[in-house]
Amino acid sequence: MKLMMNNGCIKPPQIIILIFLAVLLGLAYFLKMDLAGLFNESLIKLVMNGVLVLSLIPMLNAGAGMNFGLPVGITGGLIGMCIAVNFRLAGWPGFFMSLLLSVAICGILGWIYGLILNRVKGREEIAGTFIGLSLIPLMNYFWTLAPFQNRQMLYPIGGQGLRPKITLEPYFYNILDNFSLVKLGPLEIPLGLLGFYGLICLGLYLFFRTKAGRAAMATGENEAFARLSGIDIAGARLLAIILSTVIAGIGICVYSQSYGFIQLYDAPLAMYFPAISAVLIGGSNGRRAFIFQAALGAYLLQTIYLLTVPIANEILVPEITEILRTLITYSIILYALLYRERQRGSGHEN
Amino acid sequence: MENILEIKELSKAYHGVPALIDIDLSVKAGEIHGIVGANGSGKSTLMNILFGNPIVRETGGYQGEILYRGRRIHPKSCGEAIRLGMGMAHQEFALLPDLTIAENIKLGRERTWKFTDRLFGPKYSFIDRKRNAAGAAQVLHQLGLDVDVGIKVINLATNTKQFVELAREIDRRDLQLLLLDEPTAVLSKRDGLKLIEVLMGMSQAGLGIIFISHRLEEVEHICDRVTVLRDGRVVSRYNKGEISISQLARDMIGHRVNKAIAPARDLNTRPVISFRQFSVDMPGEELKGLDLTVFEGEILGLTSLSGHGKLALGYGLMGLYPAAGEVIYKHQRIDQMDARANIRKGIYVLPDDRQGLGILPEHSLADNIIFTGNQVKNLFAKNMVRPFGFLDQKKADLHVGQLVDELEIKCASIKQKVRELSGGNQQKVCMARALTVDPKLLFVAEPTRGIDISAKEKILKLLIDLNRTKQTTIIIASSELDELKRVCDRIAVLVEGKLFKILAPDSPEVEFGLALAGEQGN
Repeated sequence: MKLMMNNGCIKPPQIIILIFLAVLLGLAYFLKMDLAGLFNESLIKLVMNGVLVLSLIPMLNAGAGMNFGLPVGITGGLIGMCIAVNFRLAGWPGFFMSLLLSVAICGILGWIYGLILNRVKGREEIAGTFIGLSLIPLMNYFWTLAPFQNRQMLYPIGGQGLRPKITLEPYFYNILDNFSLVKLGPLEIPLGLLGFYGLICLGLYLFFRTKAGRAAMATGENEAFARLSGIDIAGARLLAIILSTVIAGIGICVYSQSYGFIQLYDAPLAMYFPAISAVLIGGSNGRRAFIFQAALGAYLLQTIYLLTVPIANEILVPEITEILRTLITYSIILYALLYRERQRGSGHEN
Repeated sequence: MENILEIKELSKAYHGVPALIDIDLSVKAGEIHGIVGANGSGKSTLMNILFGNPIVRETGGYQGEILYRGRRIHPKSCGEAIRLGMGMAHQEFALLPDLTIAENIKLGRERTWKFTDRLFGPKYSFIDRKRNAAGAAQVLHQLGLDVDVGIKVINLATNTKQFVELAREIDRRDLQLLLLDEPTAVLSKRDGLKLIEVLMGMSQAGLGIIFISHRLEEVEHICDRVTVLRDGRVVSRYNKGEISISQLARDMIGHRVNKAIAPARDLNTRPVISFRQFSVDMPGEELKGLDLTVFEGEILGLTSLSGHGKLALGYGLMGLYPAAGEVIYKHQRIDQMDARANIRKGIYVLPDDRQGLGILPEHSLADNIIFTGNQVKNLFAKNMVRPFGFLDQKKADLHVGQLVDELEIKCASIKQKVRELSGGNQQKVCMARALTVDPKLLFVAEPTRGIDISAKEKILKLLIDLNRTKQTTIIIASSELDELKRVCDRIAVLVEGKLFKILAPDSPEVEFGLALAGEQGN
């Protein structure tokens, strides 16, 4: 892990974010907010969104760019959860079945997604965006027409088609959040949740230590080199894309159990910008990312989101929070794209 | 004559490591000022400062004074340097791969239609493609290169790119000072001479030129003054007439270089690999129906003028470019030009384009060295399910450590990023990777390009040792005839993508000259 941290150096975006965070913390303190409570929540937010952020890493490192097609993986996870809920699987069996189904479905979706991305090498980001955008309406049909039976999932009137928000209350709401929750005075440390997150980090870390992972990494860094070294470029990329999609599927399961609802229809579209934004805030250059950067970025971004809500409610109009969120999310991506173009450009500058 | 450029007590350090220390240097109008020095002696840093490369500012700027035409300047960007009338041809090309040759040469100085000039102003005027192409072709012709200027740069061979890079600078009217970083490194001798003629003509017209080269004969031949750098300091300076190659070499290295020489010997004539009508479609370096048999255990030199196909052989065999024809390796036909399969069979290719094909710049030295061996031959793997096996880090580090000592790779540690190493050490890392794979048949392309004398000899010596101790058959594609003559058992000369003649290494210069030009000598 140490090796991964060496590269997470602090650059302008991180500095801005850190200053912003410090200002917010100061405000929260002066407004006498429940700092311990906020801290507790920040840990949950980290994992809730953090797994989705982690899911970007394999694709980035294999040279397939920032995964703007994150909705593909999310959709796989949503289908997995919907099936589990349809059979009224509650508690751990429900959650595990969701994960299992998500992994299986995302594996297949990721494979198809990877095959497509391998055909548009170099333009994965824009292709991914449009694959994501076109998958959503397709899935909207699916959510309306698929023969799910559980009444709690269906529209109350008519009994046809899934609701946009399916409550997980009777199934596996907060099942990870509350697993081995340790209370230290006012602090609540969700050990189970953090452990689960750590496990995925460890898995990713180990993947990049394997032969296949090294091959994917080399492909991302210098494709011609990898080819001359006898690496199956398409295969290495495909593997990374499948892995990214599968982790995204797991990510949405973790997200939903924290959030309490399965969000269908257009909801996946709101998820990929914050995730990409987070990995960039963590210090990734948009072409390569380390686990540490993903974790740091997820924590910083989510904590800011978390702090802006009550503070803005206290001193500003409530709507400002949404504006601030969007502003941060998009401008960071814009910054990264600008910065990356400049880096690329300087090589040819004359 | 007046000084165009005057540098006073220039110093620069990267992260506390001094790269230049108290450099004094001046260039007069119409002077060709040579700068020689081993890799890492500070030549590139000097160029970066002069040409306003942003990396200099990002790493804390420099100390000292630069006077340009008597005025003090602080080049902050390349654009500023260009406006001052400086031009630079880079060692690593600064060309736009997706534009054509003509567009690259004329970039920023395009000829436009007069009519639209008046209509929209010169900035938004339509470009007169025909005149631009004609102009570009003319400059290239001046350099002795006749090529379709409509070809995209991405499709060109390295040497042609070098000409395009130079043509872009030479084409400028306002040019007063031209910085050339190893302009002839990627050129064959003949192309190099052509270029030198052009440069001498330009300097007579009043242009100041800073000429960096590893080829000391050229420096001796064309420079009015030579400054020798070693470890960031000026160690000596000579005027024309006082320059001697051996003195320059001694000053550069600080000690004498032992040249690697392989003694002549009798060869067995068992073929290890034969090519029949072998063609490779590598743009700018096509092979068109090569017939060549390589004997077991020999070192075969492969030379040609640039663009005549010597580089394509290894790449074609590895499937980097489409190839056709018959290849028999150890009595077996190779049907698929597949890198993985061929590495397993014992064939390995060391590329000429180190930055593009040879290294993983962001990875550590150790990762680079073991990469291919680990991936293809499963070396250093712990016994686990493939392909998810882990690396036996201890075993790998031990192996890397040995190679670093053996090859004298200069590095802070084996975890250092390869990007941070000098060209010569990067080439040694490539060699170490090849040694790790332990091939039976090794293709090496331009092994000594752009690296300093001592590293050069070290690498040639390594190749000879590898051949003598492990009986590895080695094919060296190179334009450095002197080196080939010292190292090889036979030298094959290619002309227009075909085998023209195989010569013994002790054949006279003239015969090589004739063969390279495609003339049948008697």
